[in-house]
Amino acid sequence: MPPALIVSLPLVGRDQGWGWPRQVAGILTMLTLPRRPIRVASAAILTLAIAALIAAVLWAILAAATDASGGSRIDIAHLLRMTALQAGLTMVLSLLVGTALAWALNRLRFFGRDLVVGLFAAAIVTPGMVVAFGLLSIWGRNGWINQIADTLFGITFDSPAYGLSGILLAHVVLDGAFAARILLARLDAIPQSRLKMGQSLGLSAWKRFALIDWPALRGSLPGLGAIIFLLAFTSFPIVLLLGGGPANQTLEVAIYTAVRLDFDLVGAVRLALTQIAVCSLVIVVASAFSPIPSALGRSVQPRWRDAAPVRALQWFTLALGAIGFALPLVSVLYDGLGAGLVRVLGQASFWWSTLTSISIGASSALLTLVLALVLALGRSAVEHRVARTVLNIPAYAYLAVPAVVLSLGFFLLVRASGVSVSLAAPIVVVIANSLLSLPFAIATLGPPLDAIMRTRGKLIRSLGLSGWHQFSRIEYPLLGRDIGLMLALAFCFSLGDLGVIALFGTQDFQTLPLLMYRALGSYKTNDAAAIAALLLIFTIAAFVGLPRLVERIAHAPRR
Amino acid sequence: MLRADNLVFAHPGQRTPYRFTLEARPGEVTAVSGASGSGKSTLLDLLAGFLQPASGSLDLDGLALLPLPPERRPVSLLLQADNLFEHLSASENVALGLPRDIDKASARERIAAALAEVGLSGFETQLAANLSGGQKQRVALARTLLRDRPVLLLDEPFSALDDETRRTTRDLVGELTRRHGWHTVLVSHHADDIAALASRHYRIVEGKLERV
Repeated sequence: MPPALIVSLPLVGRDQGWGWPRQVAGILTMLTLPRRPIRVASAAILTLAIAALIAAVLWAILAAATDASGGSRIDIAHLLRMTALQAGLTMVLSLLVGTALAWALNRLRFFGRDLVVGLFAAAIVTPGMVVAFGLLSIWGRNGWINQIADTLFGITFDSPAYGLSGILLAHVVLDGAFAARILLARLDAIPQSRLKMGQSLGLSAWKRFALIDWPALRGSLPGLGAIIFLLAFTSFPIVLLLGGGPANQTLEVAIYTAVRLDFDLVGAVRLALTQIAVCSLVIVVASAFSPIPSALGRSVQPRWRDAAPVRALQWFTLALGAIGFALPLVSVLYDGLGAGLVRVLGQASFWWSTLTSISIGASSALLTLVLALVLALGRSAVEHRVARTVLNIPAYAYLAVPAVVLSLGFFLLVRASGVSVSLAAPIVVVIANSLLSLPFAIATLGPPLDAIMRTRGKLIRSLGLSGWHQFSRIEYPLLGRDIGLMLALAFCFSLGDLGVIALFGTQDFQTLPLLMYRALGSYKTNDAAAIAALLLIFTIAAFVGLPRLVERIAHAPRR
Repeated sequence: MLRADNLVFAHPGQRTPYRFTLEARPGEVTAVSGASGSGKSTLLDLLAGFLQPASGSLDLDGLALLPLPPERRPVSLLLQADNLFEHLSASENVALGLPRDIDKASARERIAAALAEVGLSGFETQLAANLSGGQKQRVALARTLLRDRPVLLLDEPFSALDDETRRTTRDLVGELTRRHGWHTVLVSHHADDIAALASRHYRIVEGKLERV
């Protein structure tokens, strides 16, 4: 069947005797989009394959739960309460912080504004472990704050970096910055005509926020809140590092502990099923809200400035936010590029881990690109709403089955198939990391591909371009920067991942985050600091460099 | 002769269906006017093949067009905007109208000739994004020349142009239509465009085409 839109006409008129012919009440066909049966079939096959893989993972978990004898002493209700509490608090605090920062950034003009906006945009890829480590450097018992307080006043504070306060601090640093960037894009999208009207009416800062900003922001808050809730609910490295013991564990960390430390497979499976149930519920609720874009345009310098006292408040808010986000990262670089660096650079395990991290990151990114392109190209070639929804299902795979649960399922599958875990580990880690990046990849490539079809579908079809011609001449050059951004996101997610590698890692197969975690576990803080600094540098370099590089390559044939 | 005979179509929820009957002769511009929402663009979509009518017939010199998908119809399109891919150069945009198996040397030659015919010699390497509105329409017309399809459908093609550019582009369309024997169907709500170009004029009234 051609990828055509089948429109069933409503039956009005037929019974009311307006006399239009019977055949009009039949089925009409809209042929706006080019026929791309190979794209649609490929996307459908891939969707089925991913669904089968997820089903196999869930089956492995369920089978293990059924087969396992004996009980588990894990208090799931307590873990669920704690996880929901910290995720809920993270969501509320991050939205508040994000709104305040977006408001301040939207109003202020200053040199280096692009850098601050870019810094907030990088929050989505900054490894949680690195931020957690940076917070320990600042707020830990021997952190910068206590050192300064001790030197100046001879006093020290209890560290807020551990326990619920530490988890919230780290989450709000990351998710607040992420929320700020998304909400700033909403404020930037307010039409100039509305701003001019408001300015000519002489609206006060408060009225301006209430009448112009808030209507632009409020539509994004539920969807953004749901994403932040899910990110915090499935948070792994931050809780692992800053949780400070079982009292503040999340389900995700409890699964890891049950599998790796307590060998309690029954408990792990029950936790995984609980996690899947809650995440699925949140996704069902979140899917009712507006989607959040992952590719954001350049933020423009504002023209309409608020009164001086309000501007002072905005400067204060922005300074607090920028320091809150940047200071942990600066401390990571300061601590990491010092004494420990030379020692770490002299270790073979560091170089092997770096090679492993880069290989896995690059492989995951390329696999994600292929998967996302196949799915997004297929989806853009169909107009039927149900078909589009079905082809979008793989995007939800990670959100429903988070990293540690996915890893647990793969772990059980590999064990059940009799394949050596160490042999399967690299492949499983690459596939798992790709699936984890897929929702972001599809969210990055899907909208521009849909836009091309929406604006130029008729022209492409009328010109009779082949699928390859359409991709190579039209879509690929136009997608250059988005492909780069997608590769950067997937590479950085994989580079900073601890959830997947934690279950599959061995002494011979470890990535930089796992090496860092092990260094912390054996109290080699200087080594951990150096690894964190290098991890941060690799991440930022990839996030900044890859989109530009791929954009240049994609446009090369034009020059 | 392009002949549409009682093409019946209704959008979802539309109470009274359109019924279009029209004739367009070679070497002539046939204009269609009507109020906003009267069905002008729907008519072009039916002729181009983007919409399939519930009944009726459409043929060009005896060749039935309704069974043909849009890409196989002997039709070229010129819309109000979005006729070009802005990231491609003028010649790359024109080249999209060439057959796939053509060799590079003759492709270059034909592109240069087409651009010359629309008065854009020397613009080959210019990015479409850097061209003016009128130049963009001319590049699209050059592509139409290379596609060599006998029917040209124009959907408000001059609306976004200033008066001077509008006049010259309009003249070019009329001249190319006569020279190449195209069956040109122009949809417009500008009386001066219709008066200057059209040999035959229809108006859409209550979903039907009426000869003016």
